[in-house]
Amino acid sequence: MTQKGIFQRIKKDWVIYLMLFPAILYFVIFNVIPIIGMKLAFQDYRVIGDNIWVGLKHFKVLFDSPAFFDVLQNTIIISSMKIIFFFPIPIILSLMINELRNGPFRKYVQSVIYLPHFLSWVVIAGVWISLLSPDSGGVNVIRNFFQLPTLDYMTSKDHIRWVLVFSEMWRSAGWDSIIYLAAIMKISPSLYEAARIDGASTLQQMRFITFPQLLSTVVVVFILNLGFFLNAGFDQVFNMINDSTISKIDILDTYVYRIGILNGQYAYATAASLFKGVIGVVLILSTHFISKRLTGKGVW
Amino acid sequence: MKKMLLLVLAFVMIFAAACSNDSDDASDATVDKDGVVTLKVVFKDEGPSNPVAVKYFANLEKALKEDKDLNVKFELVEMPQGNYAEKLNLLLMSGDIPDLIYFQGGDQQIANQDLLEDLTPYIEKSEYIKDIMLPHNEERIKNYPYLLWIKPLDSKTPVIRKDWFENAASSDALMVDPTVENYHTFFKEVVQNADGGKPSYAVTVAGDIAELDTIFKMAFGLNQTWLEQDGSYINSKVSEQEKAKLTFYNQLYEEGLLDPQYLTKQWDTKEEAFYDGDAAVITGTNGKVIDIYNGKMTQVNGADAELVVLPPAKGEYQGFIATDITKESRGLAISSQSKSKDVAFEVLDYLASPEGQVLDRLGFEGEHFNITDSGTELTEKYYNEWYSRFWEPEAFELEKPLVTPLLSEPAQNSRDLANEFYNPDNSFIIPEEFVSKWDAMENIYKDFSADVITGKRPVSEFDDYVKEWNEAGGAEITEYANETIK
Repeated sequence: MTQKGIFQRIKKDWVIYLMLFPAILYFVIFNVIPIIGMKLAFQDYRVIGDNIWVGLKHFKVLFDSPAFFDVLQNTIIISSMKIIFFFPIPIILSLMINELRNGPFRKYVQSVIYLPHFLSWVVIAGVWISLLSPDSGGVNVIRNFFQLPTLDYMTSKDHIRWVLVFSEMWRSAGWDSIIYLAAIMKISPSLYEAARIDGASTLQQMRFITFPQLLSTVVVVFILNLGFFLNAGFDQVFNMINDSTISKIDILDTYVYRIGILNGQYAYATAASLFKGVIGVVLILSTHFISKRLTGKGVW
Repeated sequence: MKKMLLLVLAFVMIFAAACSNDSDDASDATVDKDGVVTLKVVFKDEGPSNPVAVKYFANLEKALKEDKDLNVKFELVEMPQGNYAEKLNLLLMSGDIPDLIYFQGGDQQIANQDLLEDLTPYIEKSEYIKDIMLPHNEERIKNYPYLLWIKPLDSKTPVIRKDWFENAASSDALMVDPTVENYHTFFKEVVQNADGGKPSYAVTVAGDIAELDTIFKMAFGLNQTWLEQDGSYINSKVSEQEKAKLTFYNQLYEEGLLDPQYLTKQWDTKEEAFYDGDAAVITGTNGKVIDIYNGKMTQVNGADAELVVLPPAKGEYQGFIATDITKESRGLAISSQSKSKDVAFEVLDYLASPEGQVLDRLGFEGEHFNITDSGTELTEKYYNEWYSRFWEPEAFELEKPLVTPLLSEPAQNSRDLANEFYNPDNSFIIPEEFVSKWDAMENIYKDFSADVITGKRPVSEFDDYVKEWNEAGGAEITEYANETIK
């Protein structure tokens, strides 16, 4: 598009661009300007005087660290589990909510499933620790009712990652379904009308109309989510980790927090963040191009 | 494709533009035309939004003027909520460096950049501070001269309700001879005596075994971080003594004496379990913290539930864990960039004087204490909320003696015990190049010890753990330790 074309378009839809402006401003302030600070990954930070250029020193330290690859492995496993098991849930949820016809009940369901999103991970961790407690937790009470042995999920190496996935699901599934619900709302009712006249059942309408119409949104959200692939959930892990599970759920963010932030080694922490950022960009771009080639749909 | 190239080009340009030099500025303490020196102070929980802190520093300004003819104005820095060490580091790294800084970790990075003043010459020339330094303070300031924190030892001591303690027949034997065996017997009896299911278990700790170690570690022969063995040093965490200690902890866990959910306990849930009667024994920092525990426990469960302080277990050695003397873990520092270093230290010195101590230790007259004919009376408000912001030397004498002691009896007992069992450690500051390896080794230890205690791994795998620990950097750091420890 030409320069003139862009301005004409902005002039024509100026109200929409005005609404977009705060979001652009937010990303410029909090996401673009901080890129300038990324140079710190190649420097030794000095509070007084000029920073010292050290090249790839911090990256070498990061990759030489005995814990780094364990931590990276944990991050990849947890993120993959979340993408595989959690990503489809909001989509399914939005499809189910869409089928609810009773207005007040639908609103009630939506409120209930959105609510956990507004709780902090400190509170959620407390709730889940109580819920999964071996002696009084609801989950073990149910297990015992069915003659199953008590399990201490929060200290079990085999279960803790699943606890992360399910607690993430409980907190975010409702909230994340909003975007899909919005996409469903804009599907033309005439499509459903035509399908009903043709004798399509509810399930068939869902399968042949709702889901295909939803696909482009799903693809975009999926690709954008991949950009945060190495963000396995600092707040969540930080509040749920303990000595028994540290080897299974210590992730890049918690590692960087301990070594970088708490020890004031900001250059080291920046190097780790840059590494994460680069991986995120590579994942977004490669997924976008693969998706474009296979389905014709991408982020842009 | 063009868009892609544009995107990459924009990124490169931003990055290149970013590679310009920054200018930094340090704090600039000022002297106004009336000769008033402004000192910028950053102190945990003592910001301008805290009315008690504002009043405290206003009183200090007045006292400095009256007693020392020192015109000082304190400018308190408001710190955001959250981890203090983290937020403070962000403040300092931004180049905003107050004159007087309270650290609670994260100070080494700042000291490494020569931003903290060496306090040794100031202490030598001081009027009061040099006389109130405690032995551990003297050792720490020799090793790391940037932080000062004249407070009693912060060892944690175990406590139990008096009624439960007296109800156990084995309590006398424990007090006379607190061996590991007698502790074990006592724990078992306390749980057997449970009334209405309380206590559920003998002891709980906040998330890891550090608090359990304060009771038992020395008894197993773990009196130092680095143990001497055949003429060289090994880390206590890979010693045979550690193996024996973990075996014992596992026994406590298996018998239900150690809280089965200790790994998920936090400090608040630990205390809750204690007041609710689920846990019979917890540990708390000697002195004021035990005072608070005692106050809350009697408030919830009546006067019979006053606390009894238990002694450290006795074995190869006896004592609470060895005291780290490499440096103060928290304390006050003066910025090397400050224009008023001498004045800042004069303030610290004044707080060590008899007049300064009254203000710092007792609070506000008419609110936290009253001077009457019978002496200095401490109010309920003092016991409930006052704590010394700066120094707490052992000697504290008043013109009019205290009618009631500064600490309750259990709290004073805990302090006496902590002082009696003072044992300096031979640990050293881990150099920056080893920090990530040390972190990895610590995590391997945490993982293995938690698994052994909770029965997920047999203690017979100790040699495998030692091998893993050494490979993660243990061997290298042990070599460094042998070169470093004198």
